[in-house]
Amino acid sequence: MTDQDNKHDTHSLLNAAAQHPIVRLSDVCKTYEQGKIMVNAVHDVSLDIQHGDFAALCGPSGSGKTSLLNLIGGLDVSNSGTVIVDGINLATIDGSELSEVRKNRIGFVFQSYNLIPVMTAYENAAFVLNLQGVDETECRDRVMATLKAVGLEGLEKRRPDEMSGGQQQRVAIARAIVTEPAIVLADEPTANVDSHTAESLLDLMEKLNRQQGVTFLFSTHDQHVMDRARRIIQMHDGKVESDNIQAG
Amino acid sequence: MNLNKLAWRNLWRRKRRTMITGFSVAFGVMLAVTFTGAGDYFYTRMIDAGASMGMGHVTIEAVDYHRAPSLKKRLHHVETLREKALQLPQVADVMTRITGQAMFASASKSVGGMFIAVDPAQENSENNLFIRSIIEGSMLSAPEGRNIIVGSKLAKKLHLRMGKKVVYTTTDVHGEIVSAIARVSGIFETGISEVDGAMAMLPIHSVQKVLGYQIDEATLLGIILKDQRFSKSMRDKLAAMPLYSGVEVLSWQQSQPELAGMIAVDKSSNYISQLLIGLLVAAGILNTMLMSVLERTREFGVMMAVGMAPSALFRLIMLESFWLAVIGLIAGIIITIPWYIYMANIGIDLSGAYGDDFNFAGVLLDPVMKIRLFQESIFAILFGLFTLALAAGAYPAWRAGRIPPVESLKTI
Repeated sequence: MTDQDNKHDTHSLLNAAAQHPIVRLSDVCKTYEQGKIMVNAVHDVSLDIQHGDFAALCGPSGSGKTSLLNLIGGLDVSNSGTVIVDGINLATIDGSELSEVRKNRIGFVFQSYNLIPVMTAYENAAFVLNLQGVDETECRDRVMATLKAVGLEGLEKRRPDEMSGGQQQRVAIARAIVTEPAIVLADEPTANVDSHTAESLLDLMEKLNRQQGVTFLFSTHDQHVMDRARRIIQMHDGKVESDNIQAG
Repeated sequence: MNLNKLAWRNLWRRKRRTMITGFSVAFGVMLAVTFTGAGDYFYTRMIDAGASMGMGHVTIEAVDYHRAPSLKKRLHHVETLREKALQLPQVADVMTRITGQAMFASASKSVGGMFIAVDPAQENSENNLFIRSIIEGSMLSAPEGRNIIVGSKLAKKLHLRMGKKVVYTTTDVHGEIVSAIARVSGIFETGISEVDGAMAMLPIHSVQKVLGYQIDEATLLGIILKDQRFSKSMRDKLAAMPLYSGVEVLSWQQSQPELAGMIAVDKSSNYISQLLIGLLVAAGILNTMLMSVLERTREFGVMMAVGMAPSALFRLIMLESFWLAVIGLIAGIIITIPWYIYMANIGIDLSGAYGDDFNFAGVLLDPVMKIRLFQESIFAILFGLFTLALAAGAYPAWRAGRIPPVESLKTI
């Protein structure tokens, strides 16, 4: 095989990747046992998330938003249907392979930040890179660049208890995007911060989406957040009620 | 950040808890050192005292003498055997001795007992209990002559005083009854009633003549080692040497089975105490690590959600146990050193409880409790406690990696 052939193949793969969705859900169901009652948390959901999406899963509490994010993030397994993330069918891989998928392809942002309290902002952001075994110099360059991008330059040595809620969530976002994952899943990322901080976090995520092409899927029931999303996936009782691309 | 650093920082999240657990490990070290050190000291004293009562740490004697003692069974060329043994590096001293039964008679009374015939040139108070227990008179000055040193209770039974005559009767090498006269030149008191009431020490050449032994014949050679722990290996070494092929070589465990049995029983109960200490330490660590894992369930969920493998989480908790054990062991060493120095040099005087004549298995012991740790005991304590501490961390570590991240993330 010549170099020309190799280049051709690489281009083909990249094109194919660009054309295929990052997440594809087909007839996904998830049922929980709650005492003696079975709850259909996710019911027959089929959905594609494309590269560059800035999508919001909306709906009231109990509508299945977090359950769906957990399924996409490989934190939970569906009862039926298929969940394909970045070309990998999550139902066909074991626990350690799921860990690898989460580590290398998915970024997580949680409602309550969930930073590791004994680590500094820098160390929290570098945590996943360390798990990936990225060498120290590269790790440092990437983390510093990411912290700068999320507006935390100069706060690298602060621990979570020395930062505001908004700053902590920025560290969480830095931790999620520093590995350049295929998708960032954010569960109510602005729920624990004031409206001003929420606005700036949304600005940040939107900027990362537009400038760096980071794909975001976040759950929310905040109308203000929904207004900023370019795609709204409305859920109710575990089902997708509507899936609309916003104008503008 | 590597797991080691993270584990270390995690330990100091709750300083007080870590310090309390560390102190419990440290206290465990101190207790283990005290128990083991007391054992090492006590057993060594007993074995050394036993050895100085005649047989040594290793005994060379005629074949089958030990099972059926008889003055007919004797060693030949004892000087050659002694000289060769003295050349071995672990050997501190070798004494030529004749031991046997005799009837002691004074002008007023007769009493059955035992004699030990010695060469004064080979004896000293370190390797001979009777010499260091002399309370009247002095040690025999020559291997010949008609002197005798008797036990204080034997002297009392026979109404003997210094300078009085004693007739001792025994059987010679041919089985004939023979007698000789000796004059009391010393009285010893070991504090062991059975010994003081029946034993007497005689000059070896005189006894050889009485028994019909040649000058280079004796019933045994008692070997004193620099360290009693080498008794078995020295026995094996000597037994393998061609020079000793026609004789029997016994370790102190073989020559004094009652003492060996008592020590074995005492050691067993000591091991149980040590195990209980270890379990208490392990329970403390288990409790700490379990609490620590339970209160960090959500954090572990986050770690696994972002890609940490359960095996890495297991390693993290094990590293926390490791560092907790290290902290405890270092603290243990720090607090134990002054205690050890005090106990090794001064000790605790138990004479109030046991009296001055404290004997165990027929061996007189110093009533001051001291401790002394063998090197291997130090390693055994540190290794044992360290292993137990790590084992105690294994369950919490395993448990942490078992909770699915989606469940962990639900916890507050």
